[in-house]
Amino acid sequence: MTLLISNLPIVTLLPFFGAIFAARASSYNRVASAWVAAIVTLLASALLIPSSLAVFAGETVIQSWSWIPAIGLEFAFRLDGLALLFACLILGIGLLVILYARYYLAAKDSMGRFFAYLLIFMGSMLGIVLSENILQLLVFWELTSLSSFLLISYWQHRQDARDGASMALVITGGGGLALLAAVLLLGNIVGSYNLSDVLAAGELVRSDELYLPILILFLVGVFTKSAQFPFHFWLPHAMAAPTPVSAYLHSATMVKAGIFLLARFFPVFAGTPEWTWLVGGAGLITLVMGAYMALFKHDIKGLLAYSTISHLGLITLLFGFGTHLAAVAAIFHIINHATFKASLFMVAGIIDHETGSRDMRKLNGLFKYMPHTAVLAIISSAAMAGVPLLNGFLSKEMFFEQTVSAVYDAPFMIIVLILVLLAAIFAVAYSLRFIHDVFFNGDSIDLPKTPHEPPTLMRIPVDLLVLICLAVGIFPMFFVAPMLAAAVAGSLQAAPPDYSLAIWHGFNLPLVMSMVALALGVVVYMLRDRLFKWHDRRMSDLDARIIYHFIYNSITTMASAITRSFDKGSLQNAIAWIIGTAFVAGVIGFMSVASPILGPRELLPVDGVSIAAALVLIGASIMTVVFHQQRLVALVMVGVVGLIVVLLFVKFSAPDLALTQLSVEIVTIILLLLALHFLPQTSPKELGRLRISRDVIISVMSGVGVMVLSMAVMSRDFVPISDFFLANAVPGGGGTNVVNVILVDFRGTDTLGEIVVLALAGLGIYALIDGLKLYAPAHDENGLNWCEDNHPPIMQALTRLLFPLMIMVAVFIFIRGHNLPGGGFIAGLIAAVALIIQYLANGISWTAQRLRIDMHWIIGIGLLIATFTGLVSMLLGYPFMTTTYTYLTWPIVGKFEVASAFVFDLGVFLVVVGATVMILVQLGRLSDTSHKRQQHLESK
Amino acid sequence: MHLAAWSVFLPLIAGFIVLFAKAKGLLWQRVLNLLSVVVLVLLSIVLIIESSSGVHQVYLLGNWAAPFGIVLVLDQLSALMIAITSALALAALIYAIATNTDKQGAHFHVLFMLILFGLNGAFLTGDLFNLFVFFEVLLLASYGLLLHGGGRLRTKAGLHYVIINMVGATLFLFAVGALYGVLGTLNIADMATKVALLPEQDLGLVAAAGLLLLVVFGTKAALFPLYLWMPTAYSNTSASVAALFAIMTKVGLYAIIRVHGTVFGAEAGSLANYHMPWLLGLGMITLMLAAFGVMASRRLREQVSYLVLASIATMLIAVGLNNPLALSASFYYMIHSTLMAGGLFLLADIISRGRGTFKDRFESAYAMPGAVLIGAMFMYGAIAMTGIPPLSGFFGKILILSAALEHQWSGLVLAVILVAGFLMIITMARTGSLLFYKVLDSDETHNPPEDNDVSRESPNRISTITVIGLFALSPILVIFAQPITAFTESVAKQQFDSQGYIQSVLSKQPVKAEKE
Amino acid sequence: MEWLVALVIGVLTASGVYLTMRARTFPVVLGLTLLAYGVNVFLFAMGRLTIGHPAVIDPAAVNYSDPLPQALVLTAIVIAFGMTAFLIVLALKARSELGNDHVDGLDLAEDEVPLKKNAVTRAHEKYLKLIKKKRKE
Repeated sequence: MTLLISNLPIVTLLPFFGAIFAARASSYNRVASAWVAAIVTLLASALLIPSSLAVFAGETVIQSWSWIPAIGLEFAFRLDGLALLFACLILGIGLLVILYARYYLAAKDSMGRFFAYLLIFMGSMLGIVLSENILQLLVFWELTSLSSFLLISYWQHRQDARDGASMALVITGGGGLALLAAVLLLGNIVGSYNLSDVLAAGELVRSDELYLPILILFLVGVFTKSAQFPFHFWLPHAMAAPTPVSAYLHSATMVKAGIFLLARFFPVFAGTPEWTWLVGGAGLITLVMGAYMALFKHDIKGLLAYSTISHLGLITLLFGFGTHLAAVAAIFHIINHATFKASLFMVAGIIDHETGSRDMRKLNGLFKYMPHTAVLAIISSAAMAGVPLLNGFLSKEMFFEQTVSAVYDAPFMIIVLILVLLAAIFAVAYSLRFIHDVFFNGDSIDLPKTPHEPPTLMRIPVDLLVLICLAVGIFPMFFVAPMLAAAVAGSLQAAPPDYSLAIWHGFNLPLVMSMVALALGVVVYMLRDRLFKWHDRRMSDLDARIIYHFIYNSITTMASAITRSFDKGSLQNAIAWIIGTAFVAGVIGFMSVASPILGPRELLPVDGVSIAAALVLIGASIMTVVFHQQRLVALVMVGVVGLIVVLLFVKFSAPDLALTQLSVEIVTIILLLLALHFLPQTSPKELGRLRISRDVIISVMSGVGVMVLSMAVMSRDFVPISDFFLANAVPGGGGTNVVNVILVDFRGTDTLGEIVVLALAGLGIYALIDGLKLYAPAHDENGLNWCEDNHPPIMQALTRLLFPLMIMVAVFIFIRGHNLPGGGFIAGLIAAVALIIQYLANGISWTAQRLRIDMHWIIGIGLLIATFTGLVSMLLGYPFMTTTYTYLTWPIVGKFEVASAFVFDLGVFLVVVGATVMILVQLGRLSDTSHKRQQHLESK
Repeated sequence: MHLAAWSVFLPLIAGFIVLFAKAKGLLWQRVLNLLSVVVLVLLSIVLIIESSSGVHQVYLLGNWAAPFGIVLVLDQLSALMIAITSALALAALIYAIATNTDKQGAHFHVLFMLILFGLNGAFLTGDLFNLFVFFEVLLLASYGLLLHGGGRLRTKAGLHYVIINMVGATLFLFAVGALYGVLGTLNIADMATKVALLPEQDLGLVAAAGLLLLVVFGTKAALFPLYLWMPTAYSNTSASVAALFAIMTKVGLYAIIRVHGTVFGAEAGSLANYHMPWLLGLGMITLMLAAFGVMASRRLREQVSYLVLASIATMLIAVGLNNPLALSASFYYMIHSTLMAGGLFLLADIISRGRGTFKDRFESAYAMPGAVLIGAMFMYGAIAMTGIPPLSGFFGKILILSAALEHQWSGLVLAVILVAGFLMIITMARTGSLLFYKVLDSDETHNPPEDNDVSRESPNRISTITVIGLFALSPILVIFAQPITAFTESVAKQQFDSQGYIQSVLSKQPVKAEKE
Repeated sequence: MEWLVALVIGVLTASGVYLTMRARTFPVVLGLTLLAYGVNVFLFAMGRLTIGHPAVIDPAAVNYSDPLPQALVLTAIVIAFGMTAFLIVLALKARSELGNDHVDGLDLAEDEVPLKKNAVTRAHEKYLKLIKKKRKE
């Protein structure tokens, strides 16, 4: 019997797989998917039978597998009376709906999509009722919201369908999230997400301080799903769905999911005043309001929608009473409502289908066209009204009984009694209207089609449902008692109280109430025309939907407002935020610990020269800021700053830095000059006082911050790891210039990364400029033409002489680099400068003729050399980038010791040359072409 | 352990080989590139297995012991990051080739390889300045990729991206400098030991530098108020690059976990975990703003970018919760969100190609070719991304939420995550019904007028399969949640054991020469 | 001396930050350049200041300046150079694509006005007009 230990998950998942087949099937044959759906449903029901026997025998079937132990999520299923009852409703009514829908859907509607959605929905519902683990229950809960969205928006080209669907999703989905919170908190209190544990821990939960918040979150989930006030309004709009969907969602499934949770968690939450007030209150309001609204709907589906809301309210109110007997009544009414409401929706569908209208002001006297359907409708709406000998009557009696007994407990409940009676009267009235207006009451007014009976098979589901209504109504003990008993036991987790399902309880108050309701209901119906007028005058503009849309839109507009106000798409804004945040972060960080700003370290003496240099630098950088609109001036100032920085490096014994800085400086300035040629010579003036002052404040703050930070560090003593480098440079790295040894040996990987950056810059720029044409003005900002005459001959001669010299310098610097200031970078940059000067002095074409190498290759080869020197050591069993110097056993020691670092440095050299030259030459060539183009254009 | 080093240097070597292959033509570059990415994927799987032993594997570059030389450290987290990156890279590359994105400019494949070099290096290095260098490598490569193909908006977005990242680089140097100036070292593990022993009067500087570093990484990870670069950059670059960029924000997150988690870990005395409240608080603000951004978006790609922002915010919150369960949850969520985000970016591109002149603007257009399949895929992606059951997003969220329950701010965290999720769900529903339901032609056959047909591209088979391939990982994450969460838990455990990291880095001895 | 250097770093940073927050690409480039100078000096200063002791091993030397920050700065300089070069070219591309050199691609931000044209420009414009007239005649 391996099946019996895993049939519940199969039952649940079967519809999901069925959905896939249903979707595919339609492509072979329209009806095929309907068949698939039906077969799947039957199969699921069949699989359920063996376990259901066990349930009737009084046990609870639980099948569970471990899933995410970390959070106590198990793949767990549970079948007890309550679950079984709902499973039967879902599958049974589901089957009838499938049969019905097969005839309902028009030729142009895709059967495959419909039945696939329907099966997904069915599976989700089964998942809800069969879940043992409440997290898993939640998964299916959200799935119902999702699949109902698909079902309601099935006629996707219709605006009302789309709106109704999204409204349903918003409300029920949102409720689902509230439920999720409730479930998480609940599980946290109980220490497990398994129903068995949760149901057992009712006392614990009710005594917890989080009880009320959890209850509220839970109820939000329930009420949204079951369309309880104030979340009821989505349900009428969901009527835009095809009628089979309405028949399914609003009789047995979707809206009953919430009710199911009420029944399910009854032992956990019920029995407290909070429960009674919240649940009972919402139920009562919904009951009355729904009943009232139903009477005034001219659309038959609208009427049914509101009557559904009202009946759900009734059930909720019963649970709200919190007594076991009330729970019995509630569960009984669940069954009855499911049966008669499903049949009524189907009838409405038939009418719509056969007449093309649902408006009760047009539909009249259909009895003579479709007597059979009419009879069915009459019976089931009588059940809805609570006429004796029908199932609706029985549960309504129990309901009245409960209300009465509640009054005995608390006299003020008399109000409830009155309201309940009022609702009952309206119920009778609208049921009556449904029958009389549609099937009698004169003749129809300009119907699109001439009505006639539907195809027999389309009517069969209704026949069956009505039969059930009658059967339950007349022989309750025989047809419904066992199921009900099991369900009640499952819900209460206790022995059911003793109740009787007899039709005749003697002449008592509930019976009187029923009679009164029936009588007054008829009266109200008689007065309907006046009521309608009054309603249209007073109440017509009373609609929760308006509020919903108001909230929805205001949230959207607020969202946009906030987003646009922060994410302006302005770079200056973004940078201001970042730098501001950095400053704040630094300050807060420093403040978070009580440590002095300055340390004890003694400082170096100041000398006049340094002060002078510093003043020049400060002056220059401030000038840059002041004259930044006059771009050339600013550029010159930046150059000055750079040079002073070079001096600074010299002064504080960093010759390598000085050399590098100097050569980079030169190249950068050349680049900027080239660039400036293509850019406006001036920036526009800024008037934004606010922004400017903001920027000044931010920059001054950050300047001061950085100054303090650097001073704070420099005034402290520290023990750097550098002594190791100083100690090991010669023995370990084989070079006396420690900086260079660090670059090519100790931290060679940094250097590797850095030349990759340079290479990337070169390639990236190449890619950028590739195919780029710039506007190169023939004359500058002030209208003065650019100097036309070509490269000055003296300079040409000079540079051509200089070239070999500079290359020699580069080589020299490169070779000495390992032991004295110098090395790959500096050498590379010098060589690059040498080449660039050639370009500048002799023009691109001239140089290009003589220098026929593609810089891509230089870069590539450089990277290759640098990397492979690293790889060699790997071959010899040493880590990547190990310099050959580190192992003395290597043959020809001495000559070789410097070599590997040297080779690496050569790679650096090549990449630097390649990248730098590529960048500048690209730019230069660009200016060349653009100029020619420009002159060409202007000559035209 | 050489393998880990290879995962860094293979892309580099492949990079310049592809550069040489330029002469041979695009086909060669494509083949080489694909080959190397596939190798990387396999390699990363091996690395995950290798690292699963739970010991940190240390690799001394240049054979110099830490803290003097630069070390690569392989642990489960870095292995995981490399695996995600390679998987994403594969998808992005296939898509780029399928849509001929790589033809739209020079050096696409070289940049692609070198960004992988930067990424993997950043995930493995144990040295703060070296991390900076690798950041710069992947940034410059990303500049090139971001701008690849050109166009007005793209250039503007690129300009912002480059400038902001240069500012970020400057901040990074300030932070590193200050840390070196106080601690006298650059090795992360060594810093941790130094911080633990630091006298009170020097602690303030370290705290300041630490938060400065948080700002730097926060900018990369798109943390409020530093994320402004992110939506524009992601929504304006080419699809495959955007997909690849789904990992870029995670680099910032990784850096926070690695650097701050180690240096300011449990042993850091009065600075222990002092950055966590910031992550949590700012993460929650980011999440709300991201949700608003999703609602306010006017284009699909912008919306997807904000969805990605939301996912990264969720992860930041999880990290900020600062307990092993939450961290493990954030890793689970990272696997999910990175891959789904990649897929969604690609899908958004397919959609905007399919809508012809309407692109991905939120206006109702004519139904796109293959609307049923694409629509289903979109719904799938939206479900996964917004965290609705039954896909992985929901379970990631559940993991994070249940990890939050013990935290003192649990109520707030719950509220923020759920409300933000709700806003995103309703918005995505609206988007879906606008793109696929509210089509211009009313009849079900969806035949737009011929004149409009020209610009509408029907989805290219390979690119569709790529997206499906990425999406297919979501159910796997759900069905095999047990082993996967077990894995992420052990990853998280290893992160919380910062001592283990420090010990194994500092105790690693260089290889001795044969005879000495 | 430290104060002086700190001051220099501060001023470089401040002016760099200010220019970086300007609305036009060229000043931004200059700003980032200044910022780079600032951070390089800062990084260098983190090894503390020493005068006259280059980190070149030499038996006579008593002590050395800290070589590590120097190596770092060297790397930083080169990286900054690469970045700046890229940014410059990108600025050019942006100008050609966006038609102007505003960082947000605006022709004139709402708080900007073009600088006053100087005498030469005005003269030249007149001159151009004259030529046009002549051409027409």
